[in-house]
Amino acid sequence: MNRSASRSKELALSLGILALGVAAAAVTATLPGEGGYAGIGPNFIPALVSAGLVLVGGWLTYEAASGGWRGRPPHEGVFHASPFVWISAGLVTHMALIGWAGFIVAGTVLFACVARGFGSHRLPWNAALGLVLSTAMFVFFVKLLNVSLPAGWMRFLL
Amino acid sequence: MDALSALIAGFGVALKPINLMWGFIGVTLGTFIGVLPGVGPALTVAMLLPLTVKLDPTGALIMFAGIYYGAMFGGSTTTILLNTPGESASIATALEGNRMAKAGRAGPALATAALGSFVAGTLATIALTMLAPLVVELALKFGPAEYFALMVFAFTTVSAVLGASTVRGLASLFLGLLLGLVGIDSQTGQARFAFGVPELLDGVDVVVLAVGLFAVGEALYVAAYHGKVKESVEKLSGSILMSASDWKRSWPAWLRATAIGFPFGTIPAGGSEIPTFLSYSVEKKLSRHREEFGRGAIEGVAGPEAANNAAATGVLVPLLTLGIPTSATAAILLTAFQNYGLQPGPLLFDSQKDLVWGLIASLYVGNVILLVLNLPLIGIWVKVLEIPKPQLYAAILVFATLGAYSLHQSWVDLATLYVFGLLGFLMRRFDIPVGPAVIGLILGPLAETQFRRALSISQGDPSVFVTQPISATFLAITALIVVVPWLVRRFRPK
Repeated sequence: MNRSASRSKELALSLGILALGVAAAAVTATLPGEGGYAGIGPNFIPALVSAGLVLVGGWLTYEAASGGWRGRPPHEGVFHASPFVWISAGLVTHMALIGWAGFIVAGTVLFACVARGFGSHRLPWNAALGLVLSTAMFVFFVKLLNVSLPAGWMRFLL
Repeated sequence: MDALSALIAGFGVALKPINLMWGFIGVTLGTFIGVLPGVGPALTVAMLLPLTVKLDPTGALIMFAGIYYGAMFGGSTTTILLNTPGESASIATALEGNRMAKAGRAGPALATAALGSFVAGTLATIALTMLAPLVVELALKFGPAEYFALMVFAFTTVSAVLGASTVRGLASLFLGLLLGLVGIDSQTGQARFAFGVPELLDGVDVVVLAVGLFAVGEALYVAAYHGKVKESVEKLSGSILMSASDWKRSWPAWLRATAIGFPFGTIPAGGSEIPTFLSYSVEKKLSRHREEFGRGAIEGVAGPEAANNAAATGVLVPLLTLGIPTSATAAILLTAFQNYGLQPGPLLFDSQKDLVWGLIASLYVGNVILLVLNLPLIGIWVKVLEIPKPQLYAAILVFATLGAYSLHQSWVDLATLYVFGLLGFLMRRFDIPVGPAVIGLILGPLAETQFRRALSISQGDPSVFVTQPISATFLAITALIVVVPWLVRRFRPK
């Protein structure tokens, strides 16, 4: 990747941290300040942390604007969007499914999506593996460890 | 001697069959998960935390001691056979260990790593046994101001001093501190940064952050940047026994490494990274076989591995006696304590004597279990390495989501997990260290409590931090370690 592309990404990230600091400061401004004997309230440390983030964000912005962040080895990898999207889709589907379809169904879908993201195209095989693994985990955690997990569609296992 | 009788009582606890069993389970699971490529000790401990929610605290913590050691050993196996160091502390091992494996000497490399870990772990545990009561004695004199100063010291060393860039370390730290502020303020009951989301009122869970950064972020990064790279597992051929010359070259390295690793572990210096490299360069300098370095010198495995384990044990000194975690793994261990309402520190040595000394005794036991379990089972761990990547990461993520979901039975924690995964991806991509964020999240709220307590006692007078000698000393050291390297860089003749 060429240097200027990398620098503009660094700049964007630096400004993101700066913005996070400003946002944190804005939230801090809504917090009460009275603090009894200590003389400081629940807003004092948040103010300090916000200031720290703003400072660090500013410093990183300066580094990015003046030749790039210091001490970074050149990054050679090429970003492949498809694996990233598959894994993200798996995680988002999982959180949408788990509450009503249950842990086993959600886990199976997640397993299949992540395996696909890592380049495995054997969907039925991965789905079967995911089903076996999440069922085993479900039974182990619910029956042996008494951790409650949603059964959803697989209620008959209980 | 008081510590000795306490330790003997501790062995009574640790050697109870049920606790011994938890130790065995912990070491086995820790090694199993730790062997998985891309899974370091911090992630291993975080992922296995949900397993112990229903155990009694003593059993659970003994199991965690086993997991901690097992994860460390598992990681070194992976490093030697696969050359993908899961964490920075393994890089030194990778330099020589993987080359030994390539030269068909994987067996002796694994053996010296295991034996070195055992020797260093045991010696370091002895040092811990003797040192802990002294630190406890000292820590009893600490008030809130001293604790706060000590925590500032720890923050500074783990974020600003270590690593490639001070400012990126600080960025990670402040991110962690900000996350630590989310939830109900323990002093006033004020909700902060929760935005009306009930799941956030409890605060951000360290396990969700660690698993998000280490597991989800790592999976996204590996898949997006080098998902197609083929890795080759080195064959474990020939004997795993060490020859006489291997022994002769290994044992001095183990001892030197213990002497280097333990002290570095006890001070807040970010865990094992520095001592393993230090041990590597010491061995390289002292070795009579210097020409072998870079081509598979056994000292280069024996030293760093022993240093790693000695430092890992040293890290438990500030964790148990002061309640201060100085590595990401220790931060997660601290959560394990907090889940049981226990706050490590000098008072715990008094109020939970059996638990603390049982835990220390179980460190001795854990080292033995590690040795008797792992060398014979090495063939199984090698098999684990051969699990193909797609299914491996799929399984890791299913397991990771389970831990997050079981916190509140809510999808909000899964969303948080994913957000932290994206964050971990970005941090990995842009060389921002993740350790300081994890430590900031857990240590931040503790530091705030001490800070406000100190000011309450002084009626709002901020000079307490510099007028009390111990606190002033810590703050002065902190200032020195920040300013001196900067001055040196600035005024060094070009």
